[in-house]
Amino acid sequence: MISLFARLELGPIFRALMRNKIGALLIALQIALTLTIMVNAIFMMQERSQQMARPSGVDEANTFYLSNTIFAQNYNTQTSMQQDLQRIRQIPGVVAATQINAIPLSGGGWSMSLQTKAGDDVEGTGAAVYMVDEQGIAALGVELIAGDNFHNSDIGWRDVGSTKWPPKALISKALAEAMFEGNWKTALGKTVYIDNHQPVQITGIINTLQAPWNGWNGVERSMLVPQQLDGRGSRYFIRTEPGRRDELMPVIEKMLAETDRGRIIRNVTSMEQTRDKSYQEHQATNTILLTVIIVLTLITGFGIVGLAMFSINRRTRQIGTRRALGASQWQVMRYFMLENLLISTAGVVLGTAGAIALNIWLVSTFSMSPLSPVLLLIGVVALLIVGQLAVSYPALVASKISPATATRGRA
Amino acid sequence: MLTMNKISKSFITDDVATHALRDIQLHVNEGDFVSVTGPSGSGKTTFLNIAGLLETSTSGEYLLDGEDITKLNDSGRSRMRNQKIGFIFQSFNLIPDLNLFDNVDVPLRYRGLSASERKQRIEYHLDQVGLASRMKHLPSQLSGGQQQRVAIARALATSPRFLLADEPTGNLDSQMAQSVMSLLEDINKAGTTILMVTHDPSLAARAKRQIYIKDGHVSELTNKNSNLHVVGEA
Repeated sequence: MISLFARLELGPIFRALMRNKIGALLIALQIALTLTIMVNAIFMMQERSQQMARPSGVDEANTFYLSNTIFAQNYNTQTSMQQDLQRIRQIPGVVAATQINAIPLSGGGWSMSLQTKAGDDVEGTGAAVYMVDEQGIAALGVELIAGDNFHNSDIGWRDVGSTKWPPKALISKALAEAMFEGNWKTALGKTVYIDNHQPVQITGIINTLQAPWNGWNGVERSMLVPQQLDGRGSRYFIRTEPGRRDELMPVIEKMLAETDRGRIIRNVTSMEQTRDKSYQEHQATNTILLTVIIVLTLITGFGIVGLAMFSINRRTRQIGTRRALGASQWQVMRYFMLENLLISTAGVVLGTAGAIALNIWLVSTFSMSPLSPVLLLIGVVALLIVGQLAVSYPALVASKISPATATRGRA
Repeated sequence: MLTMNKISKSFITDDVATHALRDIQLHVNEGDFVSVTGPSGSGKTTFLNIAGLLETSTSGEYLLDGEDITKLNDSGRSRMRNQKIGFIFQSFNLIPDLNLFDNVDVPLRYRGLSASERKQRIEYHLDQVGLASRMKHLPSQLSGGQQQRVAIARALATSPRFLLADEPTGNLDSQMAQSVMSLLEDINKAGTTILMVTHDPSLAARAKRQIYIKDGHVSELTNKNSNLHVVGEA
């Protein structure tokens, strides 16, 4: 063991570095900066990826929706919509269909505040509102984990300007937990208040259903109410048997367009397309952050190669002398790798402090979560490996310097 | 101790072959002090490099302490240099970023000695050359003569059986050169075999044996030893 430490030359390498600080210091700072940015960028990417990985609760692979815009005069919207839904439900391969006022993750929808007590000054809990009929649960593909689905008799029509709410609702588990101190089971059967004073009984709990807004901190809080909007614009939400969505999307669009010439069918969109569009900015940001990480790491790697090559060119005679005094090729190579390890270690120590400081600022300014120590550790190890990989080629070049350089050069 | 049998060295660049050494025959006994002289470009440095295992010969046999060097790989030659050979260079070849202590320490670390033994050896040999009080100094803070003394301490610290000196006084004034030469003579008297390349005839004359190299051929000029060892071309 003593012999091993003696051979490692850490002390002389460190003392020699201290006498040529500038180049080493610049590389150490570059490594520190890279670590600071890299770790926080990866952390931001991770947060976005986690957001994107959250389930919407909807059977996204087998669902789609379309817009129905009526332009004909003297049009019976209620009859037309009921006929449309009947026709859609009769198509082989369709599991369920409903009229819906908003689409999860689409970016636009309704929200209301629910209160456990009636009153103007009572604090409520925000929730996204989806108006559906008795096929709403089946059409969305959400899981009812307690209570009962709506019955056909529960469904009522709602004028566009109405402020009246139905007496029943199904709410998401997350909304139940938010309103009833983390115990969602106690929510079933309870009466809550919407629009300050209107009582609504919770008749069922659904496992997960995200709101239309992915950036909202209450994205998991949503409610289904048994209502159908009576207006000249509506959306139908349709679920098909597995694997038949793409086949049925144009079929249903064509059928609706041909059976009634008094309206336009448009925006036929799958839920998967909606998810992709919803997280487009997240994807773009992650791509940019990944590019920044790669570029920074490459610049750092090239910086290490440059400094090592410069150092080796400056010390050719010295390396030849070391070889003449008995250093093997591996010992010369190890010298430069250890030298880089010392510089990189200084860099990652500084970088760790920088990463934590930047994260504290990000947490306090943008309400982000604190940095994971594991991620920081991974960043440190990754940069040490990058340093060793970057210096390995110059170190190999150094190891090939002939011991005869000690006598041949007369510099 | 050192036997060269038909050692040749050629350098081939593009289509031109340069024969630096041709069929060298030489035997050096333990305790010899051999000076090597010759005009510039005669092959002195090549000869020294091959003797010191810094280069390999193109052909021939080279035995050092009975071991056939031509059969050793790079790692084996490094080990042999570290264990049996000490080097003194014209330009001292001290490492400028290391203090005197660390400079003398360089070959000892490659030997894998313990810290206490290395310290003991470093202090002893720096004391021997009169520089024990300056072991924390950098080479740049010393005169040329002092630097060469440090280089000698470094060469001796590994207790080599064979000391190779390449123009050891070449960068020194005459007074310093005499001092270094006296030191080398003392070292030789203590039993270390020395092979010294020099341009200076007066210094060469102080060696026990004088070898002359010209156009890659070796010849012995004088031998103060009782027995003749050289077989060379005149």
